[in-house]
Amino acid sequence: MNKTLILIVEDDRPVQNLMTTTLKAHDYRYLTAANGEAAILEVSSHNPDIVLLDLGLPDMDGIEVIKKIRTWSNVPIIIISARSEDSDKVEALDAGADDYLTKPFSVEELLARLRVTERRLAAGQGEQQTASSVFVNGKLRVDYSAGCAYLEGEELHLTPIEYKLLCLLSKNVGKVLTHTFITQNIWGHSWENDVASLRVFMATLRKKLEQNSDSVQYIQTHVGVGYRMLKVE
Amino acid sequence: MKENKPTLTEKLIAQAPNPDVHIIPGSTAEMVYREKKARSKTEHLWNVPDMFKSVGMIIAATLLGHGFWKLGMSEANIIMVYILGVLITAVITTHQIYSLIASVVSVIVFNFFFTEPRYTLTAYEKDYPITFITMFIAAFLTGSLAIRLKRQAKQAAQAAYRTKILFDTNQLLEGVREREEIVTVTATQLMKLMNRDMLISLAENDALEPPKFFSVSGETDCVEYLTENERAVAFWVYKNNKHAGATTDTLSDAKCLYLSIRTSNAVYGVVGIVIQDKPLDAFENSILLSILGECALALENEKNAREKAEAALVAQKEQLRANLLRSISHDLRTPLTSISGNASNLLSNGEKFDAETKQQLYSDIYDDSMWLINLVENLLSVTRIEEGQLNIRMQVESLDEIITEALQHISRKKVEHRIVFRTSEDFILVKADARLIVQVIINIVDNAIKYTQKNSEIVITTKKKQDKALVCIADNGPGIPDDRKASVFEMFYSGAKSIADSRRSLGLGLPLCKSIVTAHGGKLELTDNTPQGAIFTFSLPTEEVDLVE
Repeated sequence: MNKTLILIVEDDRPVQNLMTTTLKAHDYRYLTAANGEAAILEVSSHNPDIVLLDLGLPDMDGIEVIKKIRTWSNVPIIIISARSEDSDKVEALDAGADDYLTKPFSVEELLARLRVTERRLAAGQGEQQTASSVFVNGKLRVDYSAGCAYLEGEELHLTPIEYKLLCLLSKNVGKVLTHTFITQNIWGHSWENDVASLRVFMATLRKKLEQNSDSVQYIQTHVGVGYRMLKVE
Repeated sequence: MKENKPTLTEKLIAQAPNPDVHIIPGSTAEMVYREKKARSKTEHLWNVPDMFKSVGMIIAATLLGHGFWKLGMSEANIIMVYILGVLITAVITTHQIYSLIASVVSVIVFNFFFTEPRYTLTAYEKDYPITFITMFIAAFLTGSLAIRLKRQAKQAAQAAYRTKILFDTNQLLEGVREREEIVTVTATQLMKLMNRDMLISLAENDALEPPKFFSVSGETDCVEYLTENERAVAFWVYKNNKHAGATTDTLSDAKCLYLSIRTSNAVYGVVGIVIQDKPLDAFENSILLSILGECALALENEKNAREKAEAALVAQKEQLRANLLRSISHDLRTPLTSISGNASNLLSNGEKFDAETKQQLYSDIYDDSMWLINLVENLLSVTRIEEGQLNIRMQVESLDEIITEALQHISRKKVEHRIVFRTSEDFILVKADARLIVQVIINIVDNAIKYTQKNSEIVITTKKKQDKALVCIADNGPGIPDDRKASVFEMFYSGAKSIADSRRSLGLGLPLCKSIVTAHGGKLELTDNTPQGAIFTFSLPTEEVDLVE
C-alpha cells in the first residue's frame, strides 16, 4: 500500500482526470488544485509529499507558485509544461523545482518520475544526506571529507572539475540541475564557453562512472535543460 | 590655490567630457593659400616654351614679310603673313594671352619695318591707322577662333574619353550582380582613370564595413590608410553625405579624400582616394563623381533585387504555409475521427465488446494520438524554422547526448526493429539547436521504421570529418529507388501507397529534416546501403572548446 500524498495542480480537467486516474490506479493518495492560489493553500494546509505543478495556470505564473512554496517548504515539485514553454522550464528549475514533465507525457513517464522522487525521499530525507560526509548511490561512493570517489570499491581518478561536478550532482541527487546552475556552482559564472566545457567534463565523468555499457546509468542528460544524477537501487 | 579653482578650460572640459576640437583656419592661412594658388596660376600662364614660340613666330613672320617686301609684293601680303603668324601662335601656345600679345606686337612690328618711314613707329599715310586696327582685329579674331577650336577639340576628346570610360563602367556594372563585384569593377575603372590607390567600404545596417584596399601597383600594405582617424573620416562622410579628407576643408589632415557613393535616396558606401600631395584636377573630379554615381546606381539596383528576392521568398513561404495548413486540416481529421469514434464506442457500448476488441480500440486510440503528437512536434519545428534564425538557438552540444535523447522518443514500434547506436571514438561537440536535431533524428528513424519490414536493423553511427560531424542512419529495408530519391525531400510527398501506414504520412518529416540541417549549415544526403536499404547522412558543424579549468 502506497501512502505518498501527491498534490496535482492542473487547470485542464481532462489532464487532471488522467493524472488522478493514474494515481488512483497505482495506490497514491492525491489532492487537486485548479489554480495557483488553491495550490499554495493546499501545500500549506495538507503538506503533500510531492507536488505536480502545471506551469500554465489561469491565475498566476507557475514560477511564482514555486517561489512562494519555496519560501517555507522543501517539498519536491515536478513541473508539467507544454513544449513551447522550454525556457520557462529552465527558469522553473532554477527557481527551485526538482524535475519536469513535458506535455504530452505518457503515463509510464509520470509514474517513473514519481518513483524517482519517492526513492529520493525515502533514501534520505535529502538534508541529512547532504550533511553526512559519505554519499552512497548504488556502486558509487563519494567520501566528501576525504575528497575521494569510489566505484565498486575502486577509487576513481577524477580531475578536480570532475570531482566538483560529481559532488554537485550527488548532493542534489534526483534533482534536475540546469546548465546555468551547474556552471554557476563550478566556475562562478555562466558563459557560453562554460556550458561547452561542462559538456566535455560531463562526458569524461560519465565515461569513468559508466565504464561498461551495460552498467547502470548514473547521470541523465536533459537536452536543452541540464543534468541529473539518478538514485539507483 | 589652483587645485580649488578650476580654470575656464577645466570647467569646459568638465561640462563636455568628450569635446570635438575643430580648428577653423584664420585669415593668415587663407591668404597663404590664395597666394599659392595665384602663383601657381601665373607660373602656368607665363611658361618659357610658349614665350619662345610666340617670339619665334613673330621673327619668322617678319623675315618672311621682309622677303616679300624685297620681292616688291604689296603690303596686304605682308599683313597676311603676320595674321598667319598669330594664327599659328594661337594654335601652338597654351593661352589666349599669347595670341593677343602676338597680335599687338605684329601690328607694331609691321609698323616699324614695313610702313613709310621705315624703322620708326610713325606712319605717314592717313589710312594706316585703319590698316593697323583692321590688322589687329583680324589677327586677334583669327587667334581667338583658333584657340576656341583647339579648346573644343580638346574638350571633345576629353568628353569622348570620359564617355568611353563611363560607358565601359556602365557595361561592366550591368554584368555584375554581387556587391563585392560592383566594388571591384568600380575600383578597377577608377584606377584606370586616375592611376591612384583607393579604399572602398560599403555601408551595411548603418555602419561601414571594413574597407577593401585597391592598389595600382598591386601592393597590399595599406595599414597607414586604416587608422582610427581615417576610419572616422570615412564614417563622417557616410553620416553627413559630404566629401571630406585630404584637399578639402573638412578633416583635411586625413591621407585620403573621402567621397560618398550615393544616389539621391541613400548613401551606399564611401570611397577613399589616396591623394599623396597630388590633388585631383577638375576633370578627374567630375569623372570620379560620374563613376561613383554609376556605382551607387548599381548598388541600389543590387539592393532592390535583393529586396525583391526576399519578398519573393516571403511570398513563397506564405504559399508553403497555406499548403501546409490545408494539408494538415485535411489530415488531422482522419486520426481525430478514429480517436473520437473509438472513444465514443467505448463509452456507450464498452460492456458489449470482448477484451480483444477493446484492446484493439485502445491501441488504435493510442496510435492515432501518438501520430498527432508527432505531427504537432514537427509543426512546431516548421514554424521555428520558418521564423528564421532568431528562433534557432545554436549551442555547443554533445552529439552523443542528442542522439541518446532522440532515441528515447522513438515511437514504441521500435520493439519490432533493432536500433543500434555506434558512437564514434572521438568525443564530438557540435554547434546546433539540440531540440531541432533531436527532431531530425526522430523523423529519419521513424521514417526508417515506417518503410522497412519488421526486424529490420537501423544503425546510427557518428563520425568526425575535418570540421564536420557526420551522422549516418542506415537501414537494411527495401531502399529508395533512384527516381524517388529527390522527391522524398519534397513537402507533402509520401512514399509507396502499399504500406498500410502511408495514409498517415503527411510528407512533412524529411523536408523538415532537410531545412533544419540546412539552417545549421549542414547537408542531408540520401544514399544506398549495401546490399540493400537506405542511408541518410547529415552533417553538422563541430565546435572545438577551450576548456575552462
